[in-house]
Amino acid sequence: MKKVLIIARSNMRKAKGQNGAIVVLILVAAILLNLWLMLSMDYKTNFDRYHDQLNAEHVTLAVDDSDGSSFEFLSEMLASDAEVKEYRLDQCMHMVGTFPYNGGMMNGEFIFMDKQTATTRSIGKSEIVEDGNLTSGIYLPMLYQSDDFSVGKTIEMSIGSHSVTYTICGFFNSVMMGSHNCALTEIILTADKYAELERLHYAPQTTLCSVRLKDKSVNLTYEAKLKTIVSEHFPNTRMASNCYDIVSQSRYISQGICSVIMSVMALFVLLIALVVIVSNIINYIQVNMKNLGALKAVGYTSRQLICSLLLQFLGLTLMMALVGAGVSYALFPAINTMMIAQTGIPYTIHFLPLPMFISLFILGGAVALFVWLSARRIKKIEPIVALRSGIQTHNFKRNHILLEQTKTSLHVALALKTTLSGVKHNITVGITMLVLSLVVVFSGLMTENVIADMTPFLNLIVGETADSAINVQVEAEENFLAVLKLDNRTEKAYLYSSLNVSHVGGAELMVTLCDDFSKVNNQNVVFKGRFPKYDNEIAIAAKYAKEKGFAIGDEIKITANGHTENYLISGFTQITNNLGRDCLLTRQGYERLGELTNVTYYINLAEGTNIDNFNEEMKNHFQDSVNAVINVLATIEGAGSVYVSLMTIIVVAILVLSIVIITFVLYLLVRTMLTNKQRDYGILKSLGFTTRQLILQTALSFMPMIILSTIVGLVISCFAINPLMSLFLSTMGIVKCTFHIPFVFVSIAGIFLILIPFGITCLLSLKIKKIAPRALLIGE
Amino acid sequence: MPQQILLQTQKLCKTFSNGGTQQHVLKNIDLELYPGDFTVIMGASGAGKSTLLYALSGMDTPTLGAITFGNQTISDLSQDELAVFRRNHCGFVFQQIYLIDGMSVMDNVLCAGLLIHKDKKALVSKAKQLFEAVGISEDMWKKFPTQISGGEAQRVGIVRALINSPEILFADEPTGALNSKTGIDVLDTLTKFNEQGQSVVMVTHDMRSARRGNRILYLKDGAILGECDLGKYAHGDTKRHEKLSAFLKNMGW
Repeated sequence: MKKVLIIARSNMRKAKGQNGAIVVLILVAAILLNLWLMLSMDYKTNFDRYHDQLNAEHVTLAVDDSDGSSFEFLSEMLASDAEVKEYRLDQCMHMVGTFPYNGGMMNGEFIFMDKQTATTRSIGKSEIVEDGNLTSGIYLPMLYQSDDFSVGKTIEMSIGSHSVTYTICGFFNSVMMGSHNCALTEIILTADKYAELERLHYAPQTTLCSVRLKDKSVNLTYEAKLKTIVSEHFPNTRMASNCYDIVSQSRYISQGICSVIMSVMALFVLLIALVVIVSNIINYIQVNMKNLGALKAVGYTSRQLICSLLLQFLGLTLMMALVGAGVSYALFPAINTMMIAQTGIPYTIHFLPLPMFISLFILGGAVALFVWLSARRIKKIEPIVALRSGIQTHNFKRNHILLEQTKTSLHVALALKTTLSGVKHNITVGITMLVLSLVVVFSGLMTENVIADMTPFLNLIVGETADSAINVQVEAEENFLAVLKLDNRTEKAYLYSSLNVSHVGGAELMVTLCDDFSKVNNQNVVFKGRFPKYDNEIAIAAKYAKEKGFAIGDEIKITANGHTENYLISGFTQITNNLGRDCLLTRQGYERLGELTNVTYYINLAEGTNIDNFNEEMKNHFQDSVNAVINVLATIEGAGSVYVSLMTIIVVAILVLSIVIITFVLYLLVRTMLTNKQRDYGILKSLGFTTRQLILQTALSFMPMIILSTIVGLVISCFAINPLMSLFLSTMGIVKCTFHIPFVFVSIAGIFLILIPFGITCLLSLKIKKIAPRALLIGE
Repeated sequence: MPQQILLQTQKLCKTFSNGGTQQHVLKNIDLELYPGDFTVIMGASGAGKSTLLYALSGMDTPTLGAITFGNQTISDLSQDELAVFRRNHCGFVFQQIYLIDGMSVMDNVLCAGLLIHKDKKALVSKAKQLFEAVGISEDMWKKFPTQISGGEAQRVGIVRALINSPEILFADEPTGALNSKTGIDVLDTLTKFNEQGQSVVMVTHDMRSARRGNRILYLKDGAILGECDLGKYAHGDTKRHEKLSAFLKNMGW
């Protein structure tokens, strides 16, 4: 062992630069790997921790109930339900509402509760995380804590079609109702403000039903069952609900995206590090052939020599894996802050031994395997051959690019000779550039479809966007449409109402109704088949169809308001709104299940129209007939800006990381090349080649593979990126991504992807200046 | 009419520093080299012969003094300017041969030639002529340096050195790594080219090699101790050998 250690130490001392670059690559891989494991293994379980801690509900249902009849019914029903472990019914208020958020508007189903009830409920308790101890005002979910909203400041919000202003008293954590993507958003009021809101009748009384199930895995079907039962007894009653699966997934979308990107990046960096290590070992064997022969001649076994390499690389890897784990803890607070801004659930950073051990195991195992695989050739080296520098009796080398015949210039020809004789370098460069090409295309895709213009991303996530959405009572619909028709600011108005239905024997589905689907702005919602046209047709989420084994043309049984009807599946949709549990029906199709009491119209307004003013006018014109007005663009902007900022950080991070990776990979390759070709450079200098010419030759020798792999990588990535994105987003209900491929961005980035390595190689090759032809003559 | 000077040094000094110790390898050397000469630099190990050769050929820069080639002072040139000087005016034959292993015999020659020749066809033709002249047959042109013998490789080295028709051919112990038979072949080749007018400057400590020269310089402790004119080389000229022996004996060899 001591002998092996001596060789390993000597190897490390001889190749400080190369080891330094490998150390950086392993360190980056370790940081990303550890962050990924921390995010994927522990971060999401944080939801369950708080869910247990606050004894949160598995299914929540708010049933609008002015006379208290549903309270009694639910009480009896839940008490006798064998699936229910415990339940709680609270009287509170429920209404759609909006308030400013992230530069846009937050729009949701608000559940208003008084502070005492909200913080002491036996099920679904809310935990105050910041309290200004003010006597009168409002508490908001901690997700909305920002510079704009802090204790003591005021918030102006709309409740239905009414505006109110409250002083912010504090913030709270609610697991199931603490965010705009929970379907229900809890708003806590101090006793006086709660009483005031009750008096004003801005929000109807509601029975809030909080259920904990014996088996939480059936929460989706139980939600559907509960709503079906309630709607059968109280047809046309306004309800809103959520369940554990949907909320736990939707609150962790950013964490999921971040985690997937980190895992992919970690594996890419690890792959590059492994390729570099293999290339390094093969080169080490070639350069040190004589030394290896001498060591074998004096009695070292192949095993000892392989062990010395294993020790060298494994030692570095394990050390860096530990350092990487440490660094990941230093970086985690920043990521945590970013994540909390999306999840709205506090997370306390703590030491996680399992991710650290797994990353140690993955890195150590991968490096050990690749070192062993590439070092095995030491076994085949016979001492006598090694002492002749590995020269065999026969030489099968090929003389690429004959100078006598080539039409290219001398320097290009010499560079090409180097390229064609360096298979290992080419493989390393090729893999690195393929990976970086994919990274660049991904960055371009995110820049074009999320950061620069959110529309494609929103089309995928939200489904349909318009300027304004106005919910009116059915009785006022005709008059409302007549007014819209006469208003020259209205470019297009179409019914686009979202309700809930249940699949018999399946889950609760969000249904979107439209009078004519050809009017909707996003025609890509149905990506296979077509939109429903007749009252017996339905388009359902592809994810749900896959789960239940439905094909286009199959029949599906849907129930709502106590009615059950069969529908033919006309197409598959993909919207992440309800994590792939949604469907589309025509208005006539829905009316087979029950009557509509209110309808939402999506409106496209003429360019330059002030949406808020338009909404305000409509509200004033129709008074109580308007239930809610929504500035759709502002709402989307508010919710989407979280993704935009997250994606901006990710894109910048991975582009910086790409430059770091390519610099270190090229550093290793150029350094190896300079060491191997030092004698050749000396000879060429003595023949009259200038340093500049040799630097150019060196840089050019990398270019064919860089250009080829970049072009191939970019082309493949352009074809593969949408399927890959679909794969990443599949948990959100996305089956087929149709993001715009940013060809201009990709082309420009491709040019940079070629020019940057050229520049880096030229800079790294400056060392050639130090190679003196004189050194040849004195045998340096 | 005074003889034309090809290369000239004035007060040429070279000092190496090693861990604070200064070693003066060349001391105030004044030297003139003439066209068509076969100049041999002799001396004991450490006398400074190779250092003088590197300095004369622009492979190294002197610490002090000047080296003039024609009207050009090469001792003031930058490294890249020296590279251009070498490619245009000098040819090199090394003791360790130093062919590039990754290139064929022909490519080793052409890669030097293409640096200054634009007419590739003429260059290839010239390379072929030179190969024939040194006895390198066509079947070897596509071989790699590791596939030919040391003598053959050194003759390829001579072809490479001559491909750009240099004014001076510098040879550093060209037979040092060869056996006696192949060594003689190489010396015959150099002599042949010298007879055709090629100026040669050769460093050697081998008397048999040295007697090929017409002008012998003896270097001791970094200075030229003496010079001997042997006249034009003639095969089997025993008096030449005696004259060289006497000169070297006189120099303390």
